[in-house]
Amino acid sequence: MIKTAIWIIAGILLGLIIHLVIILSLPNLVSNNAWNILSKISTPGKLIILKRPKPMEANVLRLDPELVYAVCRFDLLQGPGSLSGKLPSDFWSVGIFDKSGVAIYSTTNRSGGDQNLDLGIFSPAQTRLLAEHQLTLKTGVIIVKAPSNEVYAVIRLATPHPAMWQRYKETLKQLKCAHIK
Amino acid sequence: MQRITPNMLAMVFIALFTGLGLTYYSLADGKFIGTYHLGSWTTWAKAGTPNPDPYTKAFISLGNTLRLGRSEGIQFTTQRDGNGDLLQKNCNYSISGDVPTATFWTLRALAPDGHSITPVGANQAIQSKRISRSNNGKATIKVGALLTDGNWLEITGEGYFELILTLYDASVLSGFGGTIDKLPIITNEGCT
Repeated sequence: MIKTAIWIIAGILLGLIIHLVIILSLPNLVSNNAWNILSKISTPGKLIILKRPKPMEANVLRLDPELVYAVCRFDLLQGPGSLSGKLPSDFWSVGIFDKSGVAIYSTTNRSGGDQNLDLGIFSPAQTRLLAEHQLTLKTGVIIVKAPSNEVYAVIRLATPHPAMWQRYKETLKQLKCAHIK
Repeated sequence: MQRITPNMLAMVFIALFTGLGLTYYSLADGKFIGTYHLGSWTTWAKAGTPNPDPYTKAFISLGNTLRLGRSEGIQFTTQRDGNGDLLQKNCNYSISGDVPTATFWTLRALAPDGHSITPVGANQAIQSKRISRSNNGKATIKVGALLTDGNWLEITGEGYFELILTLYDASVLSGFGGTIDKLPIITNEGCT
C-alpha cells in the first residue's frame, strides 16, 4: 500500500515537472502565433495595413473592427528600425512586440501630447553604439530598446465612425517604416 | 532489464494526466495563475507588460491575437454570463453596469475560433462614443438575434460565443487591481 502511494506521489511530482517544462518552453515551441502570421504577409521594414475584419468571416488576428491597424516588422540585423509620421488627433497607439508577442514598449497620442510619431528601435548591440555616440539620431526621436533582433510594431488608429475606415487607412499608409542604414 | 510494473505504468499515466491536464486548465479553462477575474470577465493581468510571468508568456505565445501594450489598453473576455452559464448565440443578453474610465471602449462578439458572428450589414462592435445612454449616464447593451431598440449588438448562428470588452488608453488604469473593481454584468433574457 505504501509502495503504491509512493508511486502515485512520484507520478504527481513528475506531472508538475512536465507542466512547468511545457509552460516554460511554449514560447519557443509555438509556430502559429501573431509573428508567424505577420511573417507570411509582410517583409521587414515595410508597413502594411491589415484588412478590416468582415462580418461572418474569420478574424484570425482578432482585430477590433473599430480600429485601423498598420503593422511593421523589423529585423534589426538589417539596421535599427524607424517608425515615423503624422497621425490624426483621434486616438492612436503604438505597441512594439517581440517575436513571442511580449510588449516591449507602448504609447498613445495622449502620452505623447501631439500628432507626431517618431520612434527608433534598437537592438542591444545598436543601443551600445548609441551610448558610445557611434550612431547619431535626430533630436526628438523616442528610443526603444529591443531585447532581440526580430520585433514588430502595431499601430492602432480609432475611427470616429466605421464609414471613415477607408480614409483613415490612407492616413496610416503615409507612415514611414524602415531600417536606418 | 527491469520489467515495467503496473505501478510504473500508473505513475506515467498520473504524470501525463497531471502535467498535460494542469497545463490545459491553467491556459484554457481555469486560468488560475496570472489572470484577474471580475464577475464573469477575465484578463491576463501582466499581458502587455515587458516582463510577464511564465504563464502569461505561455498564453501570449499560444494565441495569434495582436496584443495591446499596457499603456494602449486592456482587454477582458468572457465565455459566460453573470450566472456562470456559457454564452449561446440563440440567447439574448442584456449587459449593464459600470465600465472603468477609458478614452473609449468597444464590445465585440466572436465565435471561440475567432470568426465574426455579426451578420452582414450589422454593426460588428459597440463603441462607447456612439451609444445611447439614459439620463443618469448609464448604458444598457443588448446582445442577441432578437431585434431591440437602443444599443444592439446583433449576432447570428448557433453554438457558443465569447464577448470581448476592450478599454483603450490604460493611463487611467495604471492602478490596476485597485482601480478596476466593477465591470458590466451579463444577464440572460431568454433563449429561442
